[in-house]
Amino acid sequence: MKTRLPEHGPLETPRFWRTLEERIETPEAQQAAHDEFLPGAVPAGPNYDDVHGLPPQSGVSRRDFLGLVSAAAALAATVACDRMGQGTVVPYTKRPVEVIPGVANYYASATHEGRRVYPVLVKTREGRPIHLTGNDEHPGVKGKTSPRVMADVLRLYDPDRLRAPKAEGRVVGWAEAEAKLHGALKEAKASGKPVLLVSGAVVSPSRKALLADFKAALPTLEHLAVEPATGDAAEVAALASYGQAVDLQPRLDKAKVILSLGADFLNGEDPEALGAWGAKRRLKSANESINRLWVLEGPLTLTGTNADQRVPVSPSRLGAIAFALAKELSTKGISLPAGSDLSGIPAGTPAGIPPATWTSLVKDLQHAGRNAVVLCGAQMPAEAHQAAHLLNAMLGSEAVTVRAAEPLATVKDLEATAQKMAAGAYAAAIFWDVNPAYTFPRAAAWKDAVAKVPVRAWIGQVEDETAAQCHLLLPESHWLESWGDFSTPGAAVLQQPAIGTLYDTRQGEDILLGALKALGANVPESYHAYLQARWKKELPLGVTFEQALHDGLVKVEEKAAYLSIRGAFKGASVAPAAKRAAASKADGLELVLFPGFATHDGRHGNNSWLQETPDPITKMTWDNPVAVSVQDAKALGLEEGDLVTLSLDGATLRLPAVIQPGQAAGVLALALGYGRTTGGVAKGVGANAFPLAGLDPASAHVRAGAKLAKAGGRKELSRTQSHHRMEGRDLVRSLTMDEFAHNPKGHHHMPELVTLYEDQKFPDHKWGMVIDLAACTGCSACVVACQSENNVPVVGPEQVARGREMHWIRIDRYYEGELENPKVVHQPMLCQHCDNAPCENVCPVNATNHSSEGLNQMAYNRCVGTRYCANNCPYKVRRFNFLEYTAYKTEPETLAYNPEVTVRPRGVMEKCSFCVQRINDVKIRAKGEGRAILDGEITTACMAGCPSDAIVFGDLKDPKSKVSQLVAASRAYKVLEELGVKPAITYLADLKNPAVEAPVGGHHEA
Amino acid sequence: MADETRKPLLERAAALVAGPFLLGREALGLVFPPGREAPPETPPAPLRIPVTTPEHAIKRRG
Repeated sequence: MKTRLPEHGPLETPRFWRTLEERIETPEAQQAAHDEFLPGAVPAGPNYDDVHGLPPQSGVSRRDFLGLVSAAAALAATVACDRMGQGTVVPYTKRPVEVIPGVANYYASATHEGRRVYPVLVKTREGRPIHLTGNDEHPGVKGKTSPRVMADVLRLYDPDRLRAPKAEGRVVGWAEAEAKLHGALKEAKASGKPVLLVSGAVVSPSRKALLADFKAALPTLEHLAVEPATGDAAEVAALASYGQAVDLQPRLDKAKVILSLGADFLNGEDPEALGAWGAKRRLKSANESINRLWVLEGPLTLTGTNADQRVPVSPSRLGAIAFALAKELSTKGISLPAGSDLSGIPAGTPAGIPPATWTSLVKDLQHAGRNAVVLCGAQMPAEAHQAAHLLNAMLGSEAVTVRAAEPLATVKDLEATAQKMAAGAYAAAIFWDVNPAYTFPRAAAWKDAVAKVPVRAWIGQVEDETAAQCHLLLPESHWLESWGDFSTPGAAVLQQPAIGTLYDTRQGEDILLGALKALGANVPESYHAYLQARWKKELPLGVTFEQALHDGLVKVEEKAAYLSIRGAFKGASVAPAAKRAAASKADGLELVLFPGFATHDGRHGNNSWLQETPDPITKMTWDNPVAVSVQDAKALGLEEGDLVTLSLDGATLRLPAVIQPGQAAGVLALALGYGRTTGGVAKGVGANAFPLAGLDPASAHVRAGAKLAKAGGRKELSRTQSHHRMEGRDLVRSLTMDEFAHNPKGHHHMPELVTLYEDQKFPDHKWGMVIDLAACTGCSACVVACQSENNVPVVGPEQVARGREMHWIRIDRYYEGELENPKVVHQPMLCQHCDNAPCENVCPVNATNHSSEGLNQMAYNRCVGTRYCANNCPYKVRRFNFLEYTAYKTEPETLAYNPEVTVRPRGVMEKCSFCVQRINDVKIRAKGEGRAILDGEITTACMAGCPSDAIVFGDLKDPKSKVSQLVAASRAYKVLEELGVKPAITYLADLKNPAVEAPVGGHHEA
Repeated sequence: MADETRKPLLERAAALVAGPFLLGREALGLVFPPGREAPPETPPAPLRIPVTTPEHAIKRRG
């Protein structure tokens, strides 16, 4: 289907729309909505429409027909006799003490991505970690985590993991590999030549101590900590504004007004921010206080889709606008920090911002004062970060905390290192869980430079581009097999293994400890002992190490570590930054490089769960097309899926384009982390955008002067936004705060529902769910949580392009309004467990039926795959196994399966089960303890994974349950209620809190 | 004309020798098949990865 943008918009457009085709109302879109399924999801077959006439005489004789039937019967009998798949059941003769077959064990542990720490609870079955959630004891994350962390359990079972050390390409033992490494280090120490160690961000106090010990034992060690996905601008700005590297944590529970300068803090990475956001948005009545989110940004981000007021702005102009805001606020009585000089910034409303919007924004920030916060996107230019620091200092914001952090190396530091390597300065180099051969913008120069280092060692899990340049490959354990610790606000967090090592691997710290011993240092035998010795010295009185491991953390005094947001700010940094911001302008197109939702900096590229999770904005899977604004697409004559060439500074990429409503004109957006050359899953997926990154750390990931041209040809996009349409009905509702206060039901009037059937009786329980669209940010954590819990298979890009993705829960993203800056509502859509389920009536074999507790359930071994149920489902939530996605999987991939959930074969229909295995688990436990099920005790995977608590599950028969109370809320509605199918899921209408002109901030301000 | 398209003498001679040789080897292979291993009594067990519980870790619940 082609999408051509109209010269003039149609007179009447649908209020909510999902795709450009729907917005423009092309004949293809109307036909697609009418057809419901994509052509690929409905194989062509004979036409049985003419049910009254005789069957067409197609030439198949009665004799042939009977012959076929006999052959089919014989074949069925033969297949039924197949002995394949019969194994031997062996009991646990030597059962490990900790393992009770059939009972899950939970371990508290932790991991990190860059500087962000994720305390988690690991669910294990028969010794295998199978599911991750946040650690509920942690005061910040409160039981929540990110989609990428949840999916990281699959990386443990990645078949591409290196299983034994390698030297010069051949498998060797640890003794030989270590001898080579230790020999090189001892030689370097003796000769006084530097040794290079490149690792990721250091957020672990014990790892920091170990690195200090390593430096003491090997004084010529040069350590660089790199995090390539986020750009270096934040680091540059922190050094200028605070004189040191800092880590900022939004405290949205204290924020009444939030201004985002391209910051995507609601994208799922920050469970703490999402939790606080959800708490401020789940309103029971219009009298409760709500925050207001202002977003100024170039590309449309997930945070931008949740904005109350959004203005598309080029990233190069963000700094100037933010400094103008500071100047405006200073004229309203909010004092500038000492030494600040904004004389280089012109007064008045910046160009491109409507004056009324500007006035409202200034008033909002002024009114909110300490309860306002300004957040800047990591990849935005350094000036914008500095302006955000200035604004927070002026406001004295209490809604953000600033902590000193370990500094990160910038791209400039890496360039200097490459030059030193090229000059032959290093005796050896160790690359620990980093991939600079892929992430450094000038890969060819890096490769030539690395070749000059005599001994090169790599510590990692899956052989990558950097491993290909190294002599020694040292396989690292997954974090679920490793020890560690982290420092977080409010708690010191412990990382402990939840499984013994699957292969002959070691954790990186143990490899360093081995090196330390070889260099003559007196250190403990293992990193576990090293960590334990450090912790035992620092544990509070009365807390044992074992207790800390049990809890996963030790709570600590929070305030001590924070910098004063105004006192630590260096006013003298303002004038040069403001001057740079005022002079900043983009010549040509401006390219924004951002971490891929699925891949981050490429480290998750081999994770098929993440690759197949649709990007929350573009709904792309398995690819990173360049997003072009509606205006630029029109000017260039681009259509969706057109191949384009994207050139910048001598680097050129050929990749498909998508047209992104809401993206600022003149801005291009491209995700990092794709185009890998190694990894069974990652290899060849998308295009590598790192060559387009700059070498100026102040704006490495926002580049001016990009050139875009049609390359000829098209690519079929594996994009899910046009799949599973529910034709033009009242599906999603969004209210402003005024509408919520005065007319929450709006123009929606429920017709009287008449039914011929008797109401069903539910003697014990009636399970139901409520989804609050105001709290849902569209982060897709629920999608990954469901995939992990329910063994949802991955189908690959070709099948996704045919509409055959298998996710039991999808996030429908609806636009409202103009193409250039639409409002957005996200709606999680899953099986509605209708009481009058249309799918149940049409199943010829009764494979789908209703339970006495209101569950619409599937008997997989009864399903014969007619797909009548999918055709009759108005919500388009049933998924059919068109191909065999699971039977050919072997260990280690099968170790990730949840044994409580049947793995479905080809030809079987499946869908959301409301996590029936979790319901039964709690029921059995409650029965065993002789008590009733408590409200909130049963959590579906999507509910437990939702960081903003938008999903509530419970018993509708219990009038006191939270879910029963929410069903009665004024924002409550059911999707397609007029069909009379009686869905068990209730939605609460989305809320937007747009700025109103008078009174200041509106009466909904808290 | 025929002389122009004909291949050099050496190549023709090589083909003349190699053809019967390869055919003969194939024929001998069919008559005297190389020694095959007897089919195992039971199919080889799939490669299993040993799963062990973590040392020193303390579980939260279970």
